[in-house]
Amino acid sequence: MTTNSMPDQLLLDVKGLKKYFPIRRGLLQKVVGYVKAVDDVTFFLHQKETLSLVGESGCGKTTTSRCILRAISPTEGSVLYRGAAGGIVDMAGLHPSGLQALRKEMQMIFQDPFASLNPRMTLLDIVGEPLLVHGEKSASVRTERVAELLRLVGLRAEYMRRYPHAFSGGQRQRIGIARALALNPRLVVADEPVSALDVSVQAQILNLMLDLQEQMGLTYLFVAHDLSVVRHISDRVAVMYVGRIVETAKTEELFARPLHPYTEALLSAVPKPDPRMRSERIVLQGEVADPANPPPGCYFNPRCAYAEEECRSRTPEQREIAPGHFVSCHRAENLRLRGVVTAARN
Amino acid sequence: MSDMNTGKADTILSVRDLKTYFFQDEGTVKAVDGASFEVQAGKTLGIVGESGCGKSVTTQSILRLVEKPGRIVKGEIFLHKADGEVKDLVQLPQNGPEMRAVRGGDIGLVFQEPMTSFSPVHTIGDQITEAIMLHLPVNKKEARKIGIEALRSVGIPKPERRIDEYSFELSGGLRQRAMISVALSCKPRLLIADEPTTALDVTTQAQILDLLRKLQEENGMAIMLITHNLGVVAEMADEVVVMYLGRVVEEGPVDDIFHNPKHPYTRALLQSIPSIDSRPRIKLPTISGSIPHPYNRPSGCPFYPRCESYIKGVCEKAEPELTAVNDHQKVSCFLYEEQK
Repeated sequence: MTTNSMPDQLLLDVKGLKKYFPIRRGLLQKVVGYVKAVDDVTFFLHQKETLSLVGESGCGKTTTSRCILRAISPTEGSVLYRGAAGGIVDMAGLHPSGLQALRKEMQMIFQDPFASLNPRMTLLDIVGEPLLVHGEKSASVRTERVAELLRLVGLRAEYMRRYPHAFSGGQRQRIGIARALALNPRLVVADEPVSALDVSVQAQILNLMLDLQEQMGLTYLFVAHDLSVVRHISDRVAVMYVGRIVETAKTEELFARPLHPYTEALLSAVPKPDPRMRSERIVLQGEVADPANPPPGCYFNPRCAYAEEECRSRTPEQREIAPGHFVSCHRAENLRLRGVVTAARN
Repeated sequence: MSDMNTGKADTILSVRDLKTYFFQDEGTVKAVDGASFEVQAGKTLGIVGESGCGKSVTTQSILRLVEKPGRIVKGEIFLHKADGEVKDLVQLPQNGPEMRAVRGGDIGLVFQEPMTSFSPVHTIGDQITEAIMLHLPVNKKEARKIGIEALRSVGIPKPERRIDEYSFELSGGLRQRAMISVALSCKPRLLIADEPTTALDVTTQAQILDLLRKLQEENGMAIMLITHNLGVVAEMADEVVVMYLGRVVEEGPVDDIFHNPKHPYTRALLQSIPSIDSRPRIKLPTISGSIPHPYNRPSGCPFYPRCESYIKGVCEKAEPELTAVNDHQKVSCFLYEEQK
C-alpha cells in the first residue's frame, strides 16, 4: 500500500468507481447482462466539506455511497481514504479485517427514521451499540457518552430509557444522527436524511447537521434528490445521471452557471415556492435510460435538446472546464445554459 | 331563492364546516375539524399542509370513502352537477347509486402512489374500461376505444399496445399518466389530485404538472390539488387553503398566500423551507417543536405551542374562527380577530 497518494486537503479520492450487478436468467442462472448501477465515477472530497450527490431515482447515487463505505464491494476502481492516523488506504480493495478499524471513522445517517431504529431497543441501546461493538465494555461509560450525544443532537438525556415509538419523525432522525456520531467519525454519509420528514422539521435537521459539522469538523457526503435541500447544505454538488457523474462544481457555481444540459433541465424542473416565478420550464421528453441497456455515446443524448452527431457516437470524458468545475459533455464550451438566479430576499 | 348554498355561479364544490372524526378506544381523533372552502370551475385549488393536517381525510370525506371508526359528524359538501342541480354529498347514502355515480363520474381522483393504486393482476385496459362502462352507456368494444383515446390524451406512447400491459410494466411517470387517464376517462368536472407527484422524480413531476395544466385548459375542469410541497402549489394553484391539524388556518389567492401571508403558521412554513434560489449554507429559521400527536391535540388554537406570536391567556383558551382580513383572504388567528 505504498503507491497510494493524494493531495493533502483531500479526505477521499474516488477514481473510476464501477459497480455492475449481474442479471441472471434461466435454470443455470447464466449471466445475460449487467445493470451498470455505477459506471466510471470519479470525484473527491475535501476535508470538512459537504459534497452532495444528486440525481433521480436509479441514477446510482445510493450505490456509489455504499461502495465508498464498502457496504457493498465495487466491481472496479479505487476509493482512496486518508485515515485518522494519516495513512492512505484504498477502501475498494481492503481485506475485511482491515475494514473494521476504519468503520469507526465513517458512519451513515439513513433516510427513513421509522425503519432504521429497532423498536425493541431503548435509545441507550441504539446509540450505545456502536460503542459496544467497538470495544467499550463499561456500561457506565457508555451511559455517560449516550447522555452527552443525546444532548448534542438536541434531545434530553433523560429520554435514554425510552423506545423509539415515543418520538416524532424529527426526533427519531436526531437519534439516528446521535448514533452515527457515537464513535467520533470523520466522514458521515447521509442518504436522503430529510426526505421522509415534514417540511417544518426538515429545516431543524439541516441546521443541526450544519452545527455539528462545525463543532466536530465532519465531512459530509450528502445523497439527495431534492435540489433545494442540496443547495442549502452543500459546498459542492455532483450531479449523476444513469450511473455517471455528469457535472461537479461549487454549489453556487453549479446552480448559477450549469454546464451540462441535464443539470439545466433538473434545475428548471424544480418548482419554486413563489407564484410570481412561474417560468417556462424545460420539460424533458421520454424516460431515464435503462442502466442495463444504455444508449450509445452520451447516456443523456436521446433526451438532450442540444445533442449532435458526436453525442450519439462517442462517450464524453469528464473535463475540468473552469477551476473546480468538471463536466462530461462534448458541447459544454459552446452552450449557453440557464441557471437559477439567487433571490434577493436573503 | 338562490340562497348561500349554491355559492358563486361557477362553483363546483363547496365544503362547509366539515368535521370528520375517528372514534377509537384511545380517544377521538379530530382529523378534520371545521374545514370550509370552495372549488371554482376551471381553477385549481391547492390544499397545503403537513402530515396529520387532515388533507387526505378531507378528500375521503368528499368522496364519502371515510372508513369506520371514522365518520363525518358535521358539515355540508355541496356538489354542483352539470345540469345545475346541487347535491349535499353528506346526505347521500355512502354506497348508494348516486354516490357511486359521483365517484369517477363527477369527481375523478388521482392518488399519490401509482404503484399501489393499480391492481397488479388486471391490465391497465381492464381497469380503465371498467371505470368507463360504469359511468357511460357503452359496450366493451367502445369502452376500449375510449380508453385508448384517454391514454393517448395523457401522452402515453403507443396506447394500443400499452392498454394490454400491466401496471408494473410501466415506469413511474407512465403509471401516473395512466392513473390520470383513468380518472379523466369519464370527463369529470372536478379532479382531486392527492399528492400526485410526491412519489415521482423532479423531471417526471414537471411532466405531470404540465400535463394537468394542459388538460385543464382543454376541458375546463376544476382541480383540487392536495400536497405538502409549497413549490408545486406556487406553480399550479389559483387559490390556496393552508391546513394545520384538521383546521383551515388561512385561505386566499396564491399570490397573497406566498407574498402576504397572515397566519403565523403560513409565515413560518414559508420561511423554513429551503429554496432553490436561496444562498447556500445559511441557517434557516425553523418552527420549533413538532406536529403534536392527534391524541394530544392542544386546546384552543392547535398551533399555539409552536407559535411565535402566541398571546398568553387567549390562544390556549378558545379556537379562533376563520375570518376575513381583507376582501380575498381569510385567517383563523386571534391576532386578527382583535382588530375587529
